[in-house]
Amino acid sequence: MPRRRPLSLPVLHILLALADGPRHGYAIKQDIESRTHGAIRLGPGTLYEAIQRLEAGGLIDEADAADPANGQEAQRRYYRLTPRGWTALRADVAQLGAIVDLARANPRLRKA
Amino acid sequence: MSLFRLLLRLYPKGFRERYRAELEGMFLESRREARYRGRFGAGRFWFDIIVDLVVGAWRQRRSSVVPDDAGDFPRRSEMDTILQDLRDASRQCVRRPGFAAVAVLSLALGIGANSLIYGLVDGFVFHPFPYPQADRFMSIGVNFPKLSSNVDYLEVLSPADYLDIRTARSFAATGAFDLGNRNLSGGDQPERVFTALLLDDLFPVLQVKPALGRGFTRDELAPGGSRPVAIISDRLWRSRFGADPNILNRPIRIAGDAASVVGVMPPGILVAGTDLWLPWGGDPAAMPRTVRQFNVVARLAPGVSAAQANAELATIAAAVDQRERAAFKEYEGWRLVATPFASAIMRDARPAAFLLVGAVALVLLIACANIAGLFLARATSRQRELAVRVALGAGRWRIARHLLTEAALIACAGAAAGLALASTGLKAAVALLPAQLTMFGLEAHVNARVLAWTAALAVVSAALVAAIPAFSATRTDPQDALKADARGAGTRSGTRLRAALVVAEIALSAVLLLGAGLFLRSFANIQRVDRGFDADGVMTMRLTLPRERYEGEKANAFFDRLVERIGALPGVRAVAAASQFPPDESFSTPFTLDGTPSETGHIPTAMVTVASPAYFDTLRVPIRRGRAFSATDRLDAPRVAIVNRAFVDRYLAGSDALGRRLQIGDAAGGPWTIVGVAANVRNAGLTQPVQPELYVPVRQQTLWNQLFVLTRADTGAAALMPALRETVRSLDADQPIYAVQSLEQAIADSSFQQRTAAVLIAVFAAIAMLLAAVGIFGVMSYSVAARTQEIGIRMSVGASRAEILRLVLAQAGRLATSGLLIGLAIGLAGGRALGGMLYGVAPTDPVTLAAVAATLALVAVLAAWVPAARAMRIDPMVALRYE
Repeated sequence: MPRRRPLSLPVLHILLALADGPRHGYAIKQDIESRTHGAIRLGPGTLYEAIQRLEAGGLIDEADAADPANGQEAQRRYYRLTPRGWTALRADVAQLGAIVDLARANPRLRKA
Repeated sequence: MSLFRLLLRLYPKGFRERYRAELEGMFLESRREARYRGRFGAGRFWFDIIVDLVVGAWRQRRSSVVPDDAGDFPRRSEMDTILQDLRDASRQCVRRPGFAAVAVLSLALGIGANSLIYGLVDGFVFHPFPYPQADRFMSIGVNFPKLSSNVDYLEVLSPADYLDIRTARSFAATGAFDLGNRNLSGGDQPERVFTALLLDDLFPVLQVKPALGRGFTRDELAPGGSRPVAIISDRLWRSRFGADPNILNRPIRIAGDAASVVGVMPPGILVAGTDLWLPWGGDPAAMPRTVRQFNVVARLAPGVSAAQANAELATIAAAVDQRERAAFKEYEGWRLVATPFASAIMRDARPAAFLLVGAVALVLLIACANIAGLFLARATSRQRELAVRVALGAGRWRIARHLLTEAALIACAGAAAGLALASTGLKAAVALLPAQLTMFGLEAHVNARVLAWTAALAVVSAALVAAIPAFSATRTDPQDALKADARGAGTRSGTRLRAALVVAEIALSAVLLLGAGLFLRSFANIQRVDRGFDADGVMTMRLTLPRERYEGEKANAFFDRLVERIGALPGVRAVAAASQFPPDESFSTPFTLDGTPSETGHIPTAMVTVASPAYFDTLRVPIRRGRAFSATDRLDAPRVAIVNRAFVDRYLAGSDALGRRLQIGDAAGGPWTIVGVAANVRNAGLTQPVQPELYVPVRQQTLWNQLFVLTRADTGAAALMPALRETVRSLDADQPIYAVQSLEQAIADSSFQQRTAAVLIAVFAAIAMLLAAVGIFGVMSYSVAARTQEIGIRMSVGASRAEILRLVLAQAGRLATSGLLIGLAIGLAGGRALGGMLYGVAPTDPVTLAAVAATLALVAVLAAWVPAARAMRIDPMVALRYE
């Protein structure tokens, strides 16, 4: 597997949010806020900038219009992970997990 | 919405078109949500949106090339990191508006007070005059060791001395001037104008060009002068001549004579506050060396240092010493000193200026300590968030930087608000200054130096505020923080740090409080000084009669008639004319006592005051022996003098003063016989020892054409001013009166510096105590919250509420005591520096020390009371269930 630079924190969170299923922009934002207890809050500009890059990189793409059960939100654009996106996300999470494992192995970081 | 659309335009077109609908939708939803978030919701929301869009758009435009492989996201650039920090920091601020508001407000007060004080001392003491290269514009001072130990700068050199100084090669240009007042007439109202009489043109020395016209020519300055010419200040040009551009062609009337204006000074240029420059017109060679009434200024030649100039002046002084010592004893060992003009003029104010700058800096330090404490407290509650960041790979430096950015943001906001406070405050402060200062055209405003000072303060504050929390945060163990809850083990070092900060705050407050106490006591002592005269109800005003019309006796006759008419006004108790009055007298003259061989070394000098008969009555100064002056002491009668008690003690120790004879100065006309001894009055400033003083009758001399009129009235003399003006007008409609002031006001002005220092330092101390109290309150509240469980256990095993109260108060007491001890130690060590500025109180004054200790103890108890009471009310059941 070629070496890749890790995804940035907001991007990782966006991908994680989409891993639960297709979302539109505002839902992604709310998802991230609740997962991080408000530590990461994305403004519209930042969010769509990241979306633009992820789309251009082929990690996500636009999903079909949402389930009409969601009512008025039908006209929104929904995004979902592409297979490439899943791969990147898994690779990064694995990498982070390895780091966490390494850290746990250090007794000075494991205290009590 | 329209603002949002406008902000979207910042983005590149492609991005905007693709995502516009989405962005707008998200904006609307976020706004709907924000409306439920209460008071600060809307502001916070907009702040977030603006920061987000502006920063985002900027980044988009910078890297318009979209990477083709999203897996290869570009690394964050340095700039991105800074932007991210800034954005996070502003969010932190907006998310906790209370915290940010308290921090910004404390810093605004701290920085504002500092900028204000710096602006004042910069405008009045450090850089009072707008001369180019002001530090090379020198004032020449002189010290005659035979006469006094002081180096004096104002009106101290003779024309002959000036001719000697002018030979120095160290100076590119020199000038000398005598100060006086001239009547400008020919308008609606005669006006008294502070005037410099020039021996040499001043423009080359100042290195400024006239705003209009030119300086004086050699011919105009030569003895006798070729024609009557004048240069006026910008201020006078505007106020009296309506900024007439044709002023150079318009004759003006000075002391009744026509003169032509050849030049107008540039704005702000007022040498020693003068509005009018005239050629002196005398012949320097013909003036005796003892007529020392000139101010000498010089501009250092290019490449010459002040030290080199002083060395050359020493050589010149030594040569004059050899040449003149036989004829003029006082020249033995005399010294000439060149000092930058501003420091020479403002030297008395410099110690107080440094003191104020130092004192107000302490206030800022305390404010910073307080905010650092707030940061620490908040760091505890943010520990989990920070730990998450660390666990996810944020470097410790990155976290520290994060805090620094936030502190910098708060410091910038604080500095901006402080600057606004300072610039309004400066205007108010200038209005409170005594007239002597404003007369010089001095002004204080926010200039480049004040801005630089404020910016430096902001940087230092940010560093101080962030240093300790940043250090503490980077040492937090993420594992601990993630596992433990907010009250976990990791907070202990934070609590200790906060306690240390509070101790530092108390120590600094103690220092300020001690200073304030000492200055207030000193000022109270000054108020209680036995002045020796009664100022209540006395009004003073000054008149200067033009010599041309009031020659010799005529001036005396005028003052005689004036005093007589004022005395007849209803309500007037007593009125006198005099050349000076206490508490700040300045005319002193050498004299010789007949029959006493002159002491070796020192030439006796005394204040010499020319006074009309009712002078002692008017000021209620008792005559201890002999008699006061009477109407019969006139030019044709034997010359008489009255001396004060200090004169008798200093020069006539033990012997009877009455009947002794004196020669005053080297004026001809025979000796003066002492006919009375007056009680001492404070004549050299309220805090200085009484100087020997000689009084001579107005009617037995003809030198003085410029006298003060002192009026004592029942009704409050201020109400009498219209009548006084009318009386002067009835005698001579062309004579302006000036320097109108109640004697009480004159006394207040004379202790202006002490009063200002006392009031300002007291204000600083009060702010400092308030901040320290907030600090104590914060740390105690936190400690009580952290110890809830412990307190609950204590109570459940039988501790009484009083014991709990005592437990908490004792903790606060320990903090206060440590702070107090440290502060008093610093205060006592630094107190010696205050010695010279205090009057009648030692820096180690036990009463003040005790008062400081008591005040701080009280403040500490009050600040700790609320948390202590809360601890007392803890319900053991609830506390134990808390976990």
